[in-house]
Amino acid sequence: MLLRSLEYERPTSTQAAVEALRSSRRARALAGGQSLINVLKHRLAECDLLVDISRLEELRSIDVAVDGSVRIGAAVTYDELDNSASLRGAHPKLAEVAGGIADQQVRCRGTIGGNACYSDPASNFPPLLVALDAKMEILGADGLRSVSAEEFFHGPFDTAVRPGELLIAIHVPARGELGVGYSTVTVADADSWALARACAALKVNGTISGARVVVSALAGAPVRLPELEERLSGLEASPEAIREACANLGAGLAAVSDVHASAEYRREMAAVVVRRAIVEATER
Amino acid sequence: MAGAHAIKVTINGERYERTVLAQELLVHFIRDTLGLRGTHIGCDTGNCGACTVRCDGRLIKSCMMLAVQADGCELTTVEGLAPPEAELTPLQQAFNTEHAVQCGYCTPGMVLAASYLLERNPDPSEHEIRRALKGNICRCTGYQNIVRAVRAAASGEVEVGV
Amino acid sequence: MTRAVVETIESVEHELGRYTGRSLPRTEDRRLLKGQGQFVDDTWMFRQGYVHFLRSPHAHANIRRIDTSKADALPGVYATMTAAEMAERCEPFFRIAPDPAARIVEYPLALKARYEGDAVAMVMAETRELARSAAELIEVEYEPLPAVVDAVEAADPRSPVLHEEVGSNLAWQGIYDYGDIDWALENADHVVRIERLHFHRFSSTPLECQGALVNWDLGTGQVEIVSNIQFPMFASQVMGPSLGVRQDQLLWRYQDSGGGFGNKIAMYPQVAALALISRKAGRPAKWTEYRSENLLSCGMGNERTFLDIEVPVMADGTILGFKLRAFDDAGAYLHYEPLGAVIWSQVTPGCYRFKHVHVDYTETMTNKCPTVPNRGYSRLQHLWMIERIVDTVARRLDFDPVQLRKQNYVQPEDYPYETPNGCVYDSGDLPGALDKALSLIDYDGARELQKRGSAGKRIGIGIGSTLDSGTNNFGQARIINPDLPFSGNGEAATVKLDLYGEIYCTLGTSPTGQGHETTAAQVIADILRVEPGDVRVNAGFNKEHSAYVGFSGTYASQFAVTGINAAIGAARRLRAEIIKVGAAVLGCEEADIVLDGGVASYRGDSERAIPLIGIANVVYANNAVLPPEIADSVSLNCRYVYRPPFQVPDPETKRGNLTLTYAIQVHACVIELDEETGQVRILQYGAVDDCGRRINPQIVEGQVHGATGHGIAAALHEAFNYSPEGQLLNANFYDYRVATALDIPELKTDHIESPSPFTPNGAKGMGEGGGAPLATICSAIQDALGPDAPLVSDSHNSSERVWRLLRGQESSHVDVSSR
Repeated sequence: MLLRSLEYERPTSTQAAVEALRSSRRARALAGGQSLINVLKHRLAECDLLVDISRLEELRSIDVAVDGSVRIGAAVTYDELDNSASLRGAHPKLAEVAGGIADQQVRCRGTIGGNACYSDPASNFPPLLVALDAKMEILGADGLRSVSAEEFFHGPFDTAVRPGELLIAIHVPARGELGVGYSTVTVADADSWALARACAALKVNGTISGARVVVSALAGAPVRLPELEERLSGLEASPEAIREACANLGAGLAAVSDVHASAEYRREMAAVVVRRAIVEATER
Repeated sequence: MAGAHAIKVTINGERYERTVLAQELLVHFIRDTLGLRGTHIGCDTGNCGACTVRCDGRLIKSCMMLAVQADGCELTTVEGLAPPEAELTPLQQAFNTEHAVQCGYCTPGMVLAASYLLERNPDPSEHEIRRALKGNICRCTGYQNIVRAVRAAASGEVEVGV
Repeated sequence: MTRAVVETIESVEHELGRYTGRSLPRTEDRRLLKGQGQFVDDTWMFRQGYVHFLRSPHAHANIRRIDTSKADALPGVYATMTAAEMAERCEPFFRIAPDPAARIVEYPLALKARYEGDAVAMVMAETRELARSAAELIEVEYEPLPAVVDAVEAADPRSPVLHEEVGSNLAWQGIYDYGDIDWALENADHVVRIERLHFHRFSSTPLECQGALVNWDLGTGQVEIVSNIQFPMFASQVMGPSLGVRQDQLLWRYQDSGGGFGNKIAMYPQVAALALISRKAGRPAKWTEYRSENLLSCGMGNERTFLDIEVPVMADGTILGFKLRAFDDAGAYLHYEPLGAVIWSQVTPGCYRFKHVHVDYTETMTNKCPTVPNRGYSRLQHLWMIERIVDTVARRLDFDPVQLRKQNYVQPEDYPYETPNGCVYDSGDLPGALDKALSLIDYDGARELQKRGSAGKRIGIGIGSTLDSGTNNFGQARIINPDLPFSGNGEAATVKLDLYGEIYCTLGTSPTGQGHETTAAQVIADILRVEPGDVRVNAGFNKEHSAYVGFSGTYASQFAVTGINAAIGAARRLRAEIIKVGAAVLGCEEADIVLDGGVASYRGDSERAIPLIGIANVVYANNAVLPPEIADSVSLNCRYVYRPPFQVPDPETKRGNLTLTYAIQVHACVIELDEETGQVRILQYGAVDDCGRRINPQIVEGQVHGATGHGIAAALHEAFNYSPEGQLLNANFYDYRVATALDIPELKTDHIESPSPFTPNGAKGMGEGGGAPLATICSAIQDALGPDAPLVSDSHNSSERVWRLLRGQESSHVDVSSR
């Protein structure tokens, strides 16, 4: 409950934030703190400097371009995403997922950048960002670089953001004709501990095309399912056909056993949520 | 002193200037430094909501924020809902009338969460109420009368006076 | 000398008409709503130091060496203590258990680590942070030992032994045998055999954790204790001899407590430790538990395994009884155990007229958190098992589950009903309660819904009937250990008229949200014929008021009986004194005095009257106007001890009247199962409660909601899980997921009031509930699974467990033999 002694800075620009993060190997960016403060309370990570980025204007906006693509600042809160009419118009699933996270208090402070960078296997945004082919904009000493969401999430609590770097924004391409489905099996109500999560983004024009299907919460980073995506290509968009395409999906997936569920159950649930996400995507 | 920060915070309309250590949680600042004991601690993982307060209008868990992060902010705790000697607010009165208080430990956070909801959604459905209170654990009431109290406050059927 | 009226249960119901029975809003609420409550952590003493307990990371380990020198050297650290030091400064705690477990030597800190979380040292420092950081500097050399985490295994002589002085892990063992089970099994038309039923470990986790602020003042000899402990007088009796202090030196108090549910009953090791370090450091010692510390070490409900269950059933559906072996898991220490080994027998046949019961009961110690009397203590487990039996008999022998229950229930005309072991069920209407519960969930409509079916989903309807036995006869402790000097029960109260005629009450109870201040005021207002607003009741508990007996506290569903009748008794004594003084002042017979609206008058004549302020005046400040025989016989400060009519049970036959009242809970629910995931959604939930005469119906309903919430949460969401090495896998509120407002559905409730013939006010204790949701939800899941499905044999059913049951994975076999 009590944090170890540490230092705190609140830089007034992203450049200054990066400099502060580079000043110590054990510096960490602090936005909403809805994950990091818990980590520090339980003394599970080394940290000697917290760099508070939660008030940096450059990280706080949601910009929807004319073409429907979206740039979301890393420090935009879940509540802001949930209440953004323009975001809902351009990418409703992003707003919907944000609105379903945890509880109202967490949503008022937790940020999409924090969710992405924490990269807990159970985190809500990573599979959605991968399915939507988002680009993660990272600022370092050498300037800005962009990493695809698919390459951003390396594993539990491990992302492409290197020490001394800062996630600035998330770019999501225009939705266009994409239907997006998102399904989770949790231990209790709609947003409690996730045991299996899937997100599917695809086009339907009689048959399915351009499918990106991602499963997460089983073990480490979100995982795309290329073999399934291929089976879906050209497939008739009916629940029966989709069910058949998803048969035995769980068998090949890595999953952990822990106090919440066994690996076997997680794998079986993965098949269920993938199927449900695809069906939902075909219906939207 | 290393890691010490001067902060200015307005709480319940009163301005405070204090020095805090970087690692100090806002809930400890509220309780131990400022002596406002109505905000409670019920867990150590930010799950229970007993520490809920308002910060610049937002509903937050004060155990999940550093005191130094509240610099320049306006906070409201349960003590700020009405002056100490004043009557209960209509929402508080609804909690009394509907017997939504048993041990009282979750009550301050619960009332703040409910008032946040009613500000944004003056006529919430039962599901919307439960969803809005998801971040506030109660072990005594089974939530039943709390939901009733929020509905009663929303529909304005509250008697005045304790 | 108490009057004989206590023995003959004179009813006072006719005196309780105006406010008793009404849903008055609570007077406690104002301060709690405004954040002006005073909980333990809100309390502060000058010069206090903060305490942190160093806890063992190992489930079982010898301690080779402890070195606190680095911690002691830190500036701001006031004191440290280890178990070895404590062993020199205090005596081991008093033991409830008989031999061999009586040989346990336990000090406030552990000389050997026996569970993950066992406190082995403590630090007191200037700040919480410093105490915690200093604790990390204490060097402990552990020698890990193999751990035993299963109660059945722990009974095996080859398993690791926790307390060497005991020589085994046996806390208690005994056979309860009533009727003739062998005859019943021999002559029944059917015998249903169930391999195993298991009741899981969970806890009610009150939102406020345990805490205490203790100051041992060497100058006055007083040990001042501000703590949210639920049963202060039990702790006092255990701690006093251990610390070598007189009972009058131990001053217990608190104002507000954030929930108890039985979890804050066994805090005496921590309080004793705080007393000792306070004495050593010469400062008040403050400790408030962290949540993860609480989950690890506060206490968990009894985990019980039932094996080889045999149920004889006649062709017409009459269930004759049952035979089984039970293994209860006490955890690493016996703090209130092994009382649980007898407490369940308050409800030996559950709600039913079973005549033949044989229970071979073993309680063992394991390397897990010690058991505490969690809400529903020991009866929950037994009643759940009985409902599973009844449910299984119905299913396997093709009886209608509603009719089978009604047929086997204790019938309304049977009361007062003596159970096979001599307990007396006081009153009730079980069939009527069942009808009401079924009506709450629209039973016929639910069966229709079930028949119609729905793709991928299954509907299940469940029933759970339980009892909340309230007001224990502590004499049942002698069935556990015949040498224990305990029997009966009771509670004390004082009601006084203060200097200006104000009415003030103090109670020996330690409320944690049950509304004692409000309900005591209601009954006192009725007795003294004033408004409840004229009566002030002390908040919380304070031993200085001398309103306590050895049983004082709040537990075991008894306030409506013991606490309220103590208040009534004290108010009646005060009334008698007021009338006596009034008659003396007004110059008339006592029988001519009418007391109403705060005034004593001659036959209602307002011209010949004296108000309460006048009564107080002539006793406190003006007593020369009173005749000496009156002045010498009144004090206006009346204390009364309510004593329920009990005898001492017989330890040889294990028979006796073990509890005074029996509240009834019948629940029913409709659930929807997702066939793909095993997730359970509650569609309808109905709860019917009968606790006799309700003092404040809204408060009673609140307890029903809360107990139902706890039960639903335990049935579907909450279960403590240990690894085979004794590591608690879910020791925080992330992983031990307590129910939120989205997890508990809207509850439909109804009630019956069957007054108890055994209590002066017709009330029965309630509050714990009988754990009906656990039985109801298991019953519903079983129903949804359909015929031929494996047995729902565990009280906790996560979606994964249901998913496995759906796929035919059996964990407990049932077979039926028929003649």
